[in-house]
Amino acid sequence: MYEITSEQVPSVAFDTIRRVESSGDILKDYGSYLLDESKLSHQGAECLFFPTTEAELSAIFREMAKRGVKVTLSAARTGIVGGAVPYGGAIVSLERFDKVLELRYDRSTREWLVRLECGVTVRDLNTWAMKKNFPGLYENGSPETKRFLQEYREDHATYFYPPDPTEMGAALGGTVSTNASGARTYRYGPTRNWVRWMRVMLASGEVLEIPRGKYFATPAGEFTVIDSNGSETTIKVPTYSMPKTKNAAGIFSAPNMDLIDLFIGSEGIFGAVTQAEVALGRWANPISIVLFLPSDDKAIEFVQLLRSEKGLHPEFIEFYSASALDFLRIKQKEDPKTVGMPIIPDYAEAAIFFDIGFDPEARDNDYSMLEALALECGSTLARSWAGYEQRDLERFKEFRHLLPETTNAIIAERKKRIPELHKLGTDFAVPDEALEEIWAFYKSKLEGAGLEWVAYGHIGNNHIHINIMPRTIEEMHLGLSIYREFAKKAVSLNGTISAEHGVGKIKKEFLSIMFSDKDLEEMKAVKRALDPGLMINPGTLLDIVRKNEDTRLRKTGS
Amino acid sequence: MKILVCVKQVPEITDVTINPETGTLMREGVASILNPFCEYAMEVALGLKRQQSGIELVAISMGPPQAGSALMRCLEMGADRATLLSDARFAGSDTWATALTLAEAIKRIEGDFDLIIVGKQAIDGDTAQVGPEIAEILGLPGIMYAVGVELAPDRKRARVKREVESGYEIVEMRLPGLVSISKGPMIRSVSSFQEILDARKKELRALSASDLELEQDKLGLHGSPTQVVEIFPPLVKDRGELIDGSDAEAATEKAIAFLREKSFI
Amino acid sequence: MLNVDTDRCTGCRICEKICPFGAIAVVDKVAQVQANCTLCGACVSRCPAEALSIERRRASEEELRSFSGMFIWGECEERAGKLIPKKVVKELLSQGRRLSDKLGQQLSVVVLGDGRLTGLDTLITYGADRVIRCRHRLLSRFTSEGFTSIVSALISKEKPSVFLFGATPHGRELAPRVAARLQLGLTADCTGLDIDEKGQLVQTRPAFGGNIMASIVSPYTRPQMATVRPNVFSVGEPDSSRKGDIEDFKAALSPASIRTKLITAEQLADEGGVGIEDADIIVAAGRGCRKKENLALIQELADALGGVTAGSRALVELDWIPHTKQVGQSGLTVGPQLYIAVGISGAIQHLVGMSSAKTVIAINKDPYAPIFKVADLGIVGDAMEIMPMLIKKLKK
Repeated sequence: MYEITSEQVPSVAFDTIRRVESSGDILKDYGSYLLDESKLSHQGAECLFFPTTEAELSAIFREMAKRGVKVTLSAARTGIVGGAVPYGGAIVSLERFDKVLELRYDRSTREWLVRLECGVTVRDLNTWAMKKNFPGLYENGSPETKRFLQEYREDHATYFYPPDPTEMGAALGGTVSTNASGARTYRYGPTRNWVRWMRVMLASGEVLEIPRGKYFATPAGEFTVIDSNGSETTIKVPTYSMPKTKNAAGIFSAPNMDLIDLFIGSEGIFGAVTQAEVALGRWANPISIVLFLPSDDKAIEFVQLLRSEKGLHPEFIEFYSASALDFLRIKQKEDPKTVGMPIIPDYAEAAIFFDIGFDPEARDNDYSMLEALALECGSTLARSWAGYEQRDLERFKEFRHLLPETTNAIIAERKKRIPELHKLGTDFAVPDEALEEIWAFYKSKLEGAGLEWVAYGHIGNNHIHINIMPRTIEEMHLGLSIYREFAKKAVSLNGTISAEHGVGKIKKEFLSIMFSDKDLEEMKAVKRALDPGLMINPGTLLDIVRKNEDTRLRKTGS
Repeated sequence: MKILVCVKQVPEITDVTINPETGTLMREGVASILNPFCEYAMEVALGLKRQQSGIELVAISMGPPQAGSALMRCLEMGADRATLLSDARFAGSDTWATALTLAEAIKRIEGDFDLIIVGKQAIDGDTAQVGPEIAEILGLPGIMYAVGVELAPDRKRARVKREVESGYEIVEMRLPGLVSISKGPMIRSVSSFQEILDARKKELRALSASDLELEQDKLGLHGSPTQVVEIFPPLVKDRGELIDGSDAEAATEKAIAFLREKSFI
Repeated sequence: MLNVDTDRCTGCRICEKICPFGAIAVVDKVAQVQANCTLCGACVSRCPAEALSIERRRASEEELRSFSGMFIWGECEERAGKLIPKKVVKELLSQGRRLSDKLGQQLSVVVLGDGRLTGLDTLITYGADRVIRCRHRLLSRFTSEGFTSIVSALISKEKPSVFLFGATPHGRELAPRVAARLQLGLTADCTGLDIDEKGQLVQTRPAFGGNIMASIVSPYTRPQMATVRPNVFSVGEPDSSRKGDIEDFKAALSPASIRTKLITAEQLADEGGVGIEDADIIVAAGRGCRKKENLALIQELADALGGVTAGSRALVELDWIPHTKQVGQSGLTVGPQLYIAVGISGAIQHLVGMSSAKTVIAINKDPYAPIFKVADLGIVGDAMEIMPMLIKKLKK
């Protein structure tokens, strides 16, 4: 059906909610709430709230609406496009929404489902799922949940939560709102594929409870939201089509779409996801392999071959360009223990890192087809690192995350001297066929610009990160202009300007490369329908003003 | 030349926790790993194997069938072959029975060794006894707490750098002999995928008690002169005062007052 | 083998709950023993149906009675050209005195060395009834083979019931070699010693990295051997009125029996000649100190308090500190008056090495760090901010 009714949430006195009420105090003692991982400069906040229940959150929304104060949603603040960075107004931190609520097995879909509050981190969810121990669930769960917990523990298979953003400290609500992706999206798809149900609080303070598979847009592309007083609002779903790649840019749209997908990836501008139910995937005992190759081009060739090899199902495929390996070599010299791996061999010009299934007990493993692929690309399985024990998988994973962490740290250092600097990371993805072309384009623009850069990333999804590390403001502007060219090229190849990071406040100009003014108006129409006061997450995703306000677009700083 | 490395599989102790109410060990989800000190012993042995030609490296372990995966790791690292001593009759072995069983196996199947390298201690037992006991049973000289081993050109002696309380000693030992290793490389080594695949083609065999022809009463619990009579959780001291250090000024004032009160200043 | 009498077993699951290792489970209403059973016997006495039993070897009472007396290895160290008994010997004497009084048996200290041996009468004032001294030029420095020969020969002659060793690097080599030669039971790193109603030595020690404690006996081998770490027991009060004998033990020892040779020795600088095992004030650093350069602050704090520096195993692995400063299960045990743990999480393997400290202060960013469980004063904060301020205040 296309009609959904929002429910009122029991009220709670606004004054009882824990808060910090002066912008001075926030700046002095809670400064970390004004920033996220993007290091984007904030514009201050006049109050900071710490609700612990939907009732408290609802009271906050209603009071802020009354006072005409904008609200920026926040939790783990791990986003890298400034989504949690306030531009004045109030910050609402959902970090206290940290409980596991339920575990159940759906016999029809044969999935284990976990229901959680939005502040639980992806790391904790994963650890609990794999260790089969959900804190508080046994003590506080219903008898049915206890039965399921017992069944879960007796189930011999290991389960995990597949979406694996590089920053696993991200809050679940944030990953749902941004449709977060990670390396494993290559095999398992983005967050969208794993969300089965949610509760989202609208600006009105009322909550929509949306199971997947229940609410669908009409043939005309419309939903109707009815509030507890009976007033109806019509939402018109945008009419553009999504790119054929992993995508985190713009509002989701498809004919006859499921309502839940409207909220996933909307970056919180339609409301706050307070709870979500996600499915768990089965852990296929993997082995991590880093194969060293003689050049970037050979590495790309290897990726194409690996993808088309029928017998292998990589969990993910990651790329290290020559620039990335050199960068890591320097880091290894400075601080070998942080890199935690043996010295990168001299013959390694590029590397492809992938996980495939592996049975350590089997004696007759045949990976001759993999050796054949390696040989074709000028390498061999003897020129690799591999590990399958849990602690080796962890170690390889830390190695995978080292590059983004290191480049972030460098920007943070440089930002101390030049506060206007921020990280420039590309997030463009293209369809499989266009991989060679976009890589050639990237290289041709970067070589000769004299900038410091590294290239690496989720090459399985044709999603290569180019991290430019500007040393001056001029370099940052040069980098930005190069990125704009990259964005246009990616879009021209039917790709996306944000495969993973989202748009937030930093990537809005790229959004207009990918979507026309008409498309953006359609997105704004949905926003106006669900949040007429334009209260939630100002400055994120869309530059939008109330229809009777000044029509000049507010320039948001960056 | 033949070098033997005796290894043990242990639980990842840092992950083991104790249920404070029941006093039982919570071992769910705790991985089994090659004992870190045994891995250091392998690294030292591999170092020697790489430096010189004609060295055969054999890994041996006594344990339940799953300990085969620790031996597999040794093969992946570069051991030439491995032997697992596994039998229900070995259960309950204390360090003496363990050392006796290993020594017997060594005498029987690898008696022509030149050097035995072991790890200083296992992180679940922490006794550091099996190494010296094997040396004694086999009648070998031994050097413990080694951090580096070099072979003399004639391969009849080993020169070992080892830790002592005040620093280091260089000690020379005639071979055959035994060395126990107390420190390894800063970064654990990584095998290539080819080495992992090749390891599975190397010889990894299992021997039982009957293969060793040891008398029943020398094995397992019967053969163990020490017996555990009680297991209990350690006493937890009462927690002292915990203060918030985010205000360093106030926290350090409290610390100074505390030190003064206890007459340290 | 742990035997289950299936006729008696009622499937009540008490054994399942008692077992510390999860090694027994009731399946189809009968207890089944798993492969990881360590035969510790925890379940046997608790089974209400008496369905569980472990067969253990028994030694004859007569055999056991022929062994009498408590021996302590009087390990010596070189100081100013002399060989003097180490502090750990006095710690063992205070415990040994208590235990031999309980047993009603004689307490002797065995000292090996050469003509430089001195200070042996203090062993009497600290509780020994007798000192057995063996002097030989081949005993001028410790070799495991030489010392094992003498100690084993002495045991065969004297037949003591108990033999205690300090769990020093030398002790941890000597004791197992003696035990192996004579086929005896040996318990390492005991933190507790007592005599039970059968007159047996009950040896208590940490196991599983320190997560649990085990009590152990050696029922049918004599002497019962145990090693004890330094700083676990305290030194008792000396009594200069005590009387005792110093005897000489003549032993044959040939150079052929010693197959190791010292080539060189490298001494690492000690702070004012005080090793961490003897220090009264210790400031210890852990991984929370983040950078090697930050260890300078640790040194400054130690200097300001008149103490020495130490560290956790992690820092030794990083080569930031030498092994001589490592506190923990695979390092040294310390027993200072004051122990300040900076950036140390307090994993049980570390706690085992410093639990004898009288007063503990801990500084760590993580409020749930286990170190706070043993700290008398815990500060939750950034050590790199707190230390400079603390140092400044101390210097005033």
